[in-house]
Amino acid sequence: MTNKKYRQLRVAVAVFVGTMVGLAISRDSYLLAGAGVLTGMVFMALVRSKAKITVDEREATVRAQAAQLTYAIFAPTIGIGAFLLYLFSSAQLAVVQQRYYYLESLGMVLAYITLFLIALYSISYHFLNRKYGGGGLDE
Amino acid sequence: MSNFRSKIFMKNNIKVQRAIHNLTQEELANKIGVSRQTVNAIEADKYLPSLGLAFKIVRLFKLKVEEVFFYEEDKYEKDN
Repeated sequence: MTNKKYRQLRVAVAVFVGTMVGLAISRDSYLLAGAGVLTGMVFMALVRSKAKITVDEREATVRAQAAQLTYAIFAPTIGIGAFLLYLFSSAQLAVVQQRYYYLESLGMVLAYITLFLIALYSISYHFLNRKYGGGGLDE
Repeated sequence: MSNFRSKIFMKNNIKVQRAIHNLTQEELANKIGVSRQTVNAIEADKYLPSLGLAFKIVRLFKLKVEEVFFYEEDKYEKDN
């Protein structure tokens, strides 16, 4: 199987899963959504194992830089968002506290997500750094 | 004190070698195991190939690395 055919199959599976989830939402059926997503995942896993798809190095570089950019934007944005939500909810305004009672919880959730993201990045960095020869003792 | 900030641009003549060997981008890509887009990006100096891929390319053309890839140092900005 060529890369082109694999990409076409991937789009077809994405359309199928999207349709199934859309149908599931319209019929209010979690089972249908789950079945659709699971079928898509199993099918893609089978195709991937048969096709032996290799990612070429330019695409790997693009993925790495995209991930780096996503982290660089997402972590500060969500962190600052959480801080602002916390400030807003902790302000001593009765109206705000009554109308937006969920803001403090939302801020806490965002703060924990930020911490999780940073922790995950640090752990990944540590292992990858060791894998690629960093952190060794000097001769 | 002349203080130039310099940037090294890698150049290559893969397009010329491809023409000499009568290969399309797609054919070259298939021979070296990358996508056609990657070959196109390398030819356009938008992507710098890894050392492994550079060796694959030059071995295909039966040349040395420095005959296909070379760098140009461009002094583009003067600090003082």
